[in-house]
Amino acid sequence: MKKIVHVLFVCLLAISLAACSNATKPSSPEKQKTADIPTKIDKPVTIEFWHAMTGNLEKTLQTMTQKFNDSQSNITVKLVNQGTYDDLNKKLMAAAKSHTSPVMAQAYEDWMQDYINNDLITDLTPYIQNKTVGWSDSELNDIVQVFRDENSWNNKFYGVPFNKSTEVLYYNTDMFNENNLKAPTTWAELGNAAQTLTKGNVIGMGFENAIGLNFPTWVQQAGGQFVDVDNKKVTFDSEEGKKALTFLNDMVNDKKIARLAGEDNYMSDPFSRGDVAMYIGSSAGISFVEAGAKGKINWATAPLPAGEKASTQFQGTNLVTFNSADDQQKLAAWEFMKFLASKDQTIYWAQNTGYVPVRESALKDPVWLKYIEENPKYAAAEKQFDAGYFFPHLDGAFAMKSAYSTEIQAVLVGKKSVDQGLQDAAKNTQDALDKANK
Amino acid sequence: MNDKPTMKKTMKAILYLIPALLIIGTFSFYPIIKSFFMSFYTDYDYFKDLVFARGLDNYTFIFQDPEFWKSIQNTMIFVIGVVPLSIIISLVIATFLNQKIKFRGLFRTIYFIPFVTSVVAVSIVWRWIFHSQYGVLNYALGFLGISPIKWLSDPDWAMPSLIILAIWKGLGYNIIIFLSGLQNIDKQYYLAARIDGAGAWERFKNITVPLLSSTTFFISIVSIINSFKVFDEVFALFGGQPGPAGSAETIVYYIYNKFYGEWNFGVASAAAYVLLFIIFIFTLIQLYVGKKKVNY
Repeated sequence: MKKIVHVLFVCLLAISLAACSNATKPSSPEKQKTADIPTKIDKPVTIEFWHAMTGNLEKTLQTMTQKFNDSQSNITVKLVNQGTYDDLNKKLMAAAKSHTSPVMAQAYEDWMQDYINNDLITDLTPYIQNKTVGWSDSELNDIVQVFRDENSWNNKFYGVPFNKSTEVLYYNTDMFNENNLKAPTTWAELGNAAQTLTKGNVIGMGFENAIGLNFPTWVQQAGGQFVDVDNKKVTFDSEEGKKALTFLNDMVNDKKIARLAGEDNYMSDPFSRGDVAMYIGSSAGISFVEAGAKGKINWATAPLPAGEKASTQFQGTNLVTFNSADDQQKLAAWEFMKFLASKDQTIYWAQNTGYVPVRESALKDPVWLKYIEENPKYAAAEKQFDAGYFFPHLDGAFAMKSAYSTEIQAVLVGKKSVDQGLQDAAKNTQDALDKANK
Repeated sequence: MNDKPTMKKTMKAILYLIPALLIIGTFSFYPIIKSFFMSFYTDYDYFKDLVFARGLDNYTFIFQDPEFWKSIQNTMIFVIGVVPLSIIISLVIATFLNQKIKFRGLFRTIYFIPFVTSVVAVSIVWRWIFHSQYGVLNYALGFLGISPIKWLSDPDWAMPSLIILAIWKGLGYNIIIFLSGLQNIDKQYYLAARIDGAGAWERFKNITVPLLSSTTFFISIVSIINSFKVFDEVFALFGGQPGPAGSAETIVYYIYNKFYGEWNFGVASAAAYVLLFIIFIFTLIQLYVGKKKVNY
């Protein structure tokens, strides 16, 4: 026995001694001049696009890619499905580590934050501003503002918005009609409707398990500020923060007129079973509710009810290009991104998937207007662009989100009081922010 | 067979061992050593393999992180909840399966199925079993007058649910090992005991348990190591979350989250080494106890 310990100890000592050569940090990060980009592709180029689209979403993406490939003489885009977003994230990290990154991929903003910190993705500004292959100012400003903002870091664009969704209120029209209710537009109406609709086995209101993640929405609706980005201070432990959490906690724990998805994972299941009369969830879930609710319940969607003001978070991924690609591949990727974000394609994508179009001109286009007139369920999301926000670009965003999300959940499952939960959430979130910005 | 070792024979042995050593070296030893170094990286570029500063910061961080202590506590509860119960239940079932009962082969297969089924598939079924409104478990408990339990959405029940799933899942493997151990016990002992008038319990206590001790020992070591590494079950049972409000976060989940979620590679490696150290200590204790108590 002693021998084993001894040998192990010596081994550890040996390897730790062997590994003590420090690299020196480059004094100024090398910024390569990217103003000169090639504007012509003269040889055939094949680029890989790693995505996480499944089912109908994947089919739609395939159709669009085929259309693009047919229109190009030298560019071929190869789609590679990497499973779920979680899988995609892991594979992209592993690929970056082994220097086998794809040319293009889908990425959330908090992934992009890490990619930028590690110098993995390409600044697209030179492409956007280029006179030959870029966008004119009007073309650029045609992209919905909230999407432009969330893709820019220090005034540089690192991504192009792709599959974008936001939260909407799903409600069971049968139950609403029975009780002479209209879709709630304020917190008070939301509370009343939930109270009226809670009968027997039916619970009035439902929240996704990610309610903690979307807590910024509720704080901002209460008129508060979630985080002060300039001073790197978490600011939601405030009157407004307390008001928001008390409102949610009253519904879930005191009055028992609302529930979390909990064991059902997503609210779409209990909602389409008719166990819950309304719920707040991603507009990307419309197709899931549609499939589940068919023949069981009638339903509709509405914009989120507002508190002191309206606020809703925009979610979904953007398209990025990795630095490891060569100039020709990067240009090819840019061409494909431009294609996917063009008016016609973003409308086609939205029509077939339930995501929102990313261009203002698309929202006013007769094709789209006709579509949402026929499918009013898809209209609720885009009505909320003015109230849209995105989680600020901060180092440590992922850790911050899991910090407050856990604490807010702890309050809503009845493990902590509102005051305690809010205080802990703010403290842990601040710690995560401080640690990442040390 | 007991030839003296010569150079030629040693070379031959190495030749045979090379394929296995290459695989183990690449996929086990290299990562183990690499992550040991990484646990001391405090300022580094992971993707370009540049290290600017080393130190003990990652270790100080995790020891001050309440979330880490919570995950250690949860893992301990899991180990204590799963290992003894799993061993006792599988020993009892193995003893029955070792008797001459009808459909013995069928039962053996049934008990082994959970072990070879993917955790994700298993979890989908258990999520339904555990469902508070529609689940079969609460339905059955209803007959006993027990009001519905929120197995998966109440933080206090998250660990018990996880433990139930893990015990059930591990049974098949333990039963098979126990069965092979039981078959190795010489029938003579039982016959002799019968002649002396020993009852079934006496025979089990005085013959089966002591003669099976090396098997039990093996199973306990494997189960403890595996239980410390629990991850899949948590991930699948709670839909990718570590239980409601983080109530079922285990050490490996913590490591996973630090590595893939926060890109805190140094902290993740440090936590992995703490886990390795804990398992190492437990195995040493077991080897020590094993030497005293196990009959070979």
